[in-house]
Amino acid sequence: MTNLQQLNGDLAKKLMKEGLNNPQCAYAGKFVGIANGNVVAVADNWDELARRLHQVEPDPAKTCALEVGRDYDAVQEIWGLH
Amino acid sequence: MPRSQWPLRNDRPSIQITLTFAQGSGPTARDLLADTGAGNAQASFELLLEESDCLMCGGTPAQTVVLSGAYAGTHPIYLVRVRLPNLGFDHVLPVVGVPAVPAGFDGIACFRFLNRFNYGNYGDSGQFGLEL
Repeated sequence: MTNLQQLNGDLAKKLMKEGLNNPQCAYAGKFVGIANGNVVAVADNWDELARRLHQVEPDPAKTCALEVGRDYDAVQEIWGLH
Repeated sequence: MPRSQWPLRNDRPSIQITLTFAQGSGPTARDLLADTGAGNAQASFELLLEESDCLMCGGTPAQTVVLSGAYAGTHPIYLVRVRLPNLGFDHVLPVVGVPAVPAGFDGIACFRFLNRFNYGNYGDSGQFGLEL
């Protein structure tokens, strides 16, 4: 992981935590794009977010995205295929 | 309502999606296992694909998810454009990138994705369909 990805990831984790602890926070329910350690795009759905984020930073490796309020820590089960 | 139906694949329900790779190749079809038991309606992802497919599509990193069962462990999520041309479906979706997919399939369409549609065999036990 690069320093930039770490920076983006740290901000994403902070926003995720805020979103789960405070449903009234600034980005609650929003789709947020981060590039170069900053929030650079906010949207109401993934389609819009992806478009805006690509306009700001075309290199996906320098970006990350999250849905604020979605519980990314919840363990999801995928059954096996036998 | 527009409907798409696909033959069962290895006797299991299957759907076909279209991906768009970033490096200029044309649309690429992927056959997915339609699995209502994969994840729940609140999952942070809608599909599972090979991570290499996510990267070839220029997927934006979108956090990680912890899975149990067949894919136990932490896996990355990417934003990937997914199309179902016959249904006019064209959206960017959160997709888990995994190192390997079920034999005979290119990935898994999880419950949160299938739940966007009406789904079933529509009276033909040899097929599986989605209706929008």
